[in-house]
Amino acid sequence: MNENALTFSNVSAGYKERVVLDGVSFAIAEGEFVSLIGPNGCGKSTLLKTAAALLKPLSGSVALFGQDVRHLKPAVRASLLGVVPQKIESPMAFTVSQIVMNGRISSIGPWGSPSSLDHDIVERSMIYTDVSGLRERFFTELSGGEQQRVALAMVLAQEPKIIMLDESIAHLDINHRQEVLQILMNLNREKRMTILLVSHDLTLSAGISDRFLLMDKGSLIKAGTPAEVLQADLLSRVYNCELRVQQDPYTGYLQVSGAQDTLRRRRKLGKTVHVIAGGGSGLELYRRLLIEGYEVTTGVLNRLDSDAEAARALNIRAVLEQPFSPVGSDAISEASTMIDAADYVILSSVPFGSGNLVNLRLAEGALNSGKTVLLAADIAGRDYTEGKAALALSKRMLSAGAVNWQTIPELMSMLQQHHTLNP
Amino acid sequence: MLLSRVLPPLQVWKTEAMKQSSTPRVCRDNSFTSKQPQKARLRIVLFLLVIPLLLALSLLFGPSGIGLPDMNSPAGGAILSLRYSRLLMGMMTGAALSASGVVFQALLRNPLAEPYVLGVSGGAGLGATISILAGSSVILSLSLPVVAFVSAVLTLMVVYGIARQGSSGQPSVYSLILSGVIVSSICSSIIMFMVSTASVEGLHNVIWWMLGSLQPVSTGQQLLSLGLIVSALFGIWLLSPRLNALALGREMAHYQGVHADLIIVSGLLCATLLAATAVSLSGMIGFVGLIVPHVMRALFGPDNRRLVPLSALGGGTFLVLCDAVARTLMAPVEIPVGVVTALAGGPFFLIILQRRMKQAWIA
Repeated sequence: MNENALTFSNVSAGYKERVVLDGVSFAIAEGEFVSLIGPNGCGKSTLLKTAAALLKPLSGSVALFGQDVRHLKPAVRASLLGVVPQKIESPMAFTVSQIVMNGRISSIGPWGSPSSLDHDIVERSMIYTDVSGLRERFFTELSGGEQQRVALAMVLAQEPKIIMLDESIAHLDINHRQEVLQILMNLNREKRMTILLVSHDLTLSAGISDRFLLMDKGSLIKAGTPAEVLQADLLSRVYNCELRVQQDPYTGYLQVSGAQDTLRRRRKLGKTVHVIAGGGSGLELYRRLLIEGYEVTTGVLNRLDSDAEAARALNIRAVLEQPFSPVGSDAISEASTMIDAADYVILSSVPFGSGNLVNLRLAEGALNSGKTVLLAADIAGRDYTEGKAALALSKRMLSAGAVNWQTIPELMSMLQQHHTLNP
Repeated sequence: MLLSRVLPPLQVWKTEAMKQSSTPRVCRDNSFTSKQPQKARLRIVLFLLVIPLLLALSLLFGPSGIGLPDMNSPAGGAILSLRYSRLLMGMMTGAALSASGVVFQALLRNPLAEPYVLGVSGGAGLGATISILAGSSVILSLSLPVVAFVSAVLTLMVVYGIARQGSSGQPSVYSLILSGVIVSSICSSIIMFMVSTASVEGLHNVIWWMLGSLQPVSTGQQLLSLGLIVSALFGIWLLSPRLNALALGREMAHYQGVHADLIIVSGLLCATLLAATAVSLSGMIGFVGLIVPHVMRALFGPDNRRLVPLSALGGGTFLVLCDAVARTLMAPVEIPVGVVTALAGGPFFLIILQRRMKQAWIA
């Protein structure tokens, strides 16, 4: 049997004015166990919906065992393909056996009631997923794990050749997750059932899948064996965070994990950053610096400034001055003490006028006393001082060793580099 | 065959005996198969036995007194035949309203859904009001169900159209219900306006009809309505296994090989036909379409294959009984039956629903 169970040929799909899948092509052979992975919102669920003909492709075609899925009668399609959604909800008090019987719906003719064969299939599915003890319980009363097993039983009762699971195991506890995966593996090995599992647990999927499909932003970017797809640099790029792939020395399974050392380091860096901000330009800086584990101080800020509000909310020490008044000498001396205690001084993309030019002078003082000062680039566009004093000042500082920064991620890596070099 | 669909599957224990001889079947754990379905079966049998008794009982009540009328006098015969036709009117209206409620609740997966909430009754009422005020010929009584149906379908389309605005694809249940309530109140405002400007004669007809009453309509209209209601009920009964699948949502039903959109549209049409015919027969009778399905679900479970026929029977009988009370209690003055449905039925049904909370709609 080398017929493909599921074939996507250059499929684009989506919703009104929003293309979610962009030219996706792949094929899954009968009897394969495939995991579909990718970050949230990359189009995995849309792919499943398109495969099940719930969504019509904008272009391209989907075939189930060589037949275009859109031309299949619903009952035939259901006998080929079963979908276990993320969660099923039954608003009424259906019992478990009634729910599972729904899987036979397309086989029951318009006149008939379920035959004894249908009842046997329902029984078998319930035994397979270990829910037959729950048969008279109300579905709504079951735990999440039990509900998910009932949903699987319902789909098994369809007796499909392919089962697609849409993150169905994501919110199961570890015991039930193992159990459901065991059921899927048995189905796959014993009955040659083709399985497409949308999964967020890369490590778990690596252990059981024949093949991985990796999606990002609506496109299929890599297909292959777990070892081929689970590459640290590829995953780090797709998931936009630092990931690491290791091989378990005993089982040989691949393990994907977040880079733990960066997490741990974030506990406390022991470095203080003084932020010169204002007008809301500081908020994102404060947030990111705190997440990264820096001690943050800020000032001088106008008491009514939104950054002053943010600093108070984030419990950041700040030097404040009365609104609509020039920065007084008290505030200046307080701020320079703060800057003396800091390891770095960062200037946000705050506009400069005659009122807050003093902040820039404070930064220059810090630079002259040997501190690292980082200036947001392009000060010219934010300089409202007479005679472009701020621009001139910043040029002087840059030539004296201050550094320009463009984006916050860039700034973060600059800081990190700096204090790994100068611990 | 009908019975086999209404009653819970016998196979569960029938196969116990067959199992010994036949090829190895899946082994069943007997302890789980026993109690629950048997109880439900017993309840259904009891229900089916009680219904004819209650219907017969209703024939004993009337403004002329309690008990069978004197059959030897011509008046007695006439009284009994009048009570018969009211029984038929009540059965038709109650069955149509309840079954329509079952379908709306199943399709929208919402316990509040019923013909009134979706504006279907309001639309049918508006159509009927217009045709009542427009003329009073014989043709009118025959055209009434048709006009009511057409205007109900139009209303439903308007409601659907409004609800669909801004949503990609299918409208959400909440937007359907919200726009249904809005359209419904617009319809009733128009009815009010027309009533306030109507001539005295027309006013009388409309008011009587609006209050809701099971006064027999012309034989022609009765036959036509009977035909419409029976065929719509049959249609719904055919749909009922698929309505079960839709309880898990349109998407899941689709995955299971149900032609979901087709089922939804035909279900809505059948339910609308039922509600519109009921409105054209006996005016605006509330409560039945909402509460009877809930009570039946609490008693017999949510399986629509059973729920549709049982609700039709139960709703019809309930309305017949309410009518018996309505015409007897303050005879010769007749209380509008809609008053009795809520006043007498309300507490009774509340008790049932409270006792069987779990089996009812636990969302």
